[in-house]
Amino acid sequence: MDFELTSDQEALVSAIDKLAQGFETKPTEFHGFALVSPELEHELTEGQYFDIAQIPELGPLAAAMAVERLARLPCTGEIALSMLLRPQLRKELPRPFGLIENGRPGRFVASARTVVVIDGETVSIAQPAASEVEPVDSLLAYPMGRMREAVKLTRLSDEEAAGARKWLRIALAAEASGLLQAAVASAVEHLTLRKQFGRPLGAFQALRHRMAECAVLAGGVRWLALKAAGTAEEADAALAALHAQESATRVAYEVHQMLGAMGMTLEHPLHLWTYRLKALVAELGGRGGQALAVARHCFGASV
Amino acid sequence: MDFDWDPEQRAFRATVRDFLATHLPPDWESQAHGPGSKSQSAFSKGFCGALARAGLLVPHWPRRWGGREADPWTSFILAEEMWEAGEPRGGQYMNVNWIGPTLMRFGSEAQQERYIPPMARGETIWCQGFSEPEAGSDLASLRTRAEKHGGTYRITGQKIWTSYAGDADTCFLLARTSAGKGGISVFLVPMGTPGIIVRQIPSIIGEGDIHEVFLDEVEVAADALLGAEGQAWEIARTSLSLERVGIPRFALARRMLHRAVETLKRAGRFGQGTFAQAATARAACEAARLYSYSIVDQRRHGKTTGPEASAARYATVMAERLVSEFVVEHVPEALSGGDAMLLAHHQRAIVAGIASGAAEIQLNLIATDLLKLPREPR
Ligand SMILES: Cc1cc2nc3c(=O)[nH]c(=O)nc-3n(C[C@H](O)[C@H](O)[C@H](O)COP(=O)(O)OP(=O)(O)OC[C@H]3O[C@@H](n4cnc5c(N)ncnc54)[C@H](O)[C@@H]3O)c2cc1C
Repeated sequence: MDFELTSDQEALVSAIDKLAQGFETKPTEFHGFALVSPELEHELTEGQYFDIAQIPELGPLAAAMAVERLARLPCTGEIALSMLLRPQLRKELPRPFGLIENGRPGRFVASARTVVVIDGETVSIAQPAASEVEPVDSLLAYPMGRMREAVKLTRLSDEEAAGARKWLRIALAAEASGLLQAAVASAVEHLTLRKQFGRPLGAFQALRHRMAECAVLAGGVRWLALKAAGTAEEADAALAALHAQESATRVAYEVHQMLGAMGMTLEHPLHLWTYRLKALVAELGGRGGQALAVARHCFGASV
Repeated sequence: MDFDWDPEQRAFRATVRDFLATHLPPDWESQAHGPGSKSQSAFSKGFCGALARAGLLVPHWPRRWGGREADPWTSFILAEEMWEAGEPRGGQYMNVNWIGPTLMRFGSEAQQERYIPPMARGETIWCQGFSEPEAGSDLASLRTRAEKHGGTYRITGQKIWTSYAGDADTCFLLARTSAGKGGISVFLVPMGTPGIIVRQIPSIIGEGDIHEVFLDEVEVAADALLGAEGQAWEIARTSLSLERVGIPRFALARRMLHRAVETLKRAGRFGQGTFAQAATARAACEAARLYSYSIVDQRRHGKTTGPEASAARYATVMAERLVSEFVVEHVPEALSGGDAMLLAHHQRAIVAGIASGAAEIQLNLIATDLLKLPREPR
């Protein structure tokens, strides 16, 4: 057991951190729901960061660290699926990826070259042409999209499907970890600066403890996500995704409460993190779905 | 104790439902009707006019102002049905619930004659200018000032989060006439007065809901003052007591929970992983409903309602939270164009613990006034 980063991981994390610094603030004139950054996409491609999991010294654990760091940015991009899921699929598939579950609008679908399609128990891969997908207006802070029509699906074997689900869980947890940290940081900043009744809001015990609990939840998700990326165990992936969704539900409520009306505006960036968390909460059957996976893989239940 | 409605209450609810069935457009549920949108404001004028003609706009008001002195249950049943239908009255629910009654109590004869009849006819929109950038929960710290110059007041300052301000005819405005908590006064300010600028705030809760209102040397006649200088706190207390239970949000929350469950059933997805959560949310709606009813019933029996009203409101916040979390988790397509009604509910539910007083302030009241816990050190 060693929780220190290796020198390779250290180097990667600081490179990603440096890259991320250029995207740290929301452009003030942006008042949309999902902030997508083509520049970020470009820089990650240029630096070949989408392939870090395939580099033996780095692997999925370092990729999870990158995903987490980048999720803290107000802008989004198709990063987690490419960095964590794509390398695990047998066939080489072009990115960016998208994800559709049970026929509902899904993340990144309108610009995806590969779409993972989940329908009940089956997992398939589609490679829609640009004309076969379209964007969908959404409150969620990911670009959402859907297929215009039924496209050709290649169904994964049961074993491949299980692997895909596992890595989707890990990707979800790693992404949620970064989003949670950023949402907490944003609320902490607000509670520090905003004064009511002659003192900073952060001086009220009623808020301090709740924020502290949110920070603990975010920290817990981080360890679970990193461990799951490191071990690639089913049980770890299930626990990480469950704790991520549970924490996301709680933290999204709390941080919006802390911000008051300000958190309802598109001028404040909070929604750019919370409305990604809300999207992640719904994936893979939500907490009920993850609980089932935990029952199977941790408790040996035959459900 | 009896948990059933009496025949008169049933009949009244049925009348309101019939009215809604005939007066809401067929595509009502598929429209995104943010409470403050231009289309909603325009719609509300026709709709409230028709409500007024049917005797359903202000039944609880005195006869002099077009009501029939109906009891608190009547107005609550009306409010439930309206909110559950997506509040087709738009911002006019405020006139009905508290602005009209407040003017009846504190307004001069001239103010009453000027402002109450248009409310009773359902043709005017008001906004509530309380909050300011630096004065949210701590309303007493508001800074907008009204200075007397001969026969007029000049009002300068800024309001924020003002719902319906974009379409409002008049603002129920709080401004400072002298220092301290006792120095705040209420002004009835026509929104067309020179010096008022309204800016819509882009938000996740729909078009036209929240605004900034800038007031620059806005000159109003001395008779824009409601009551006496410095009386705002007393007036606000009365208004708040009229709004005690708050909006019957639990009614729409419950309906939307059922709607979400029906969607899941149709898709074959209402299974093991969703039962406990749906059931918990359903119970929270019911708790909020009964809690609120107990407050309405206290009023019907002429009792003064105390801090339990805060408890009822907080129970409602919890119900809204659980229902919206259920929808986000299990019917997420609602947020991506899949169901306009669920989306509109989401946008209302997420402000349940913020708008018209933050939930934490209610909790402070419950702790201090209901539980009699010692106060936090200041
Ligand atoms: C949709 C919407 C519509 C609105 N419409 C109107 C309107 O028409 N007119 C109008 O005047 N206002 C309106 N408001 C404003 C509303 O009244 C305020 O948002 C509310 O009073 C809270 O103030 P705030 O947003 O500044 O939050 P803040 O007061 O800054 O509070 C932020 C957080 O700190 C907490 N907090 C504050 N003080 C304490 C304390 N002493 N102890 C513990 N916790 C505390 C709060 O509970 C909250 O969680 C609206 C708001 C919304 C969201």
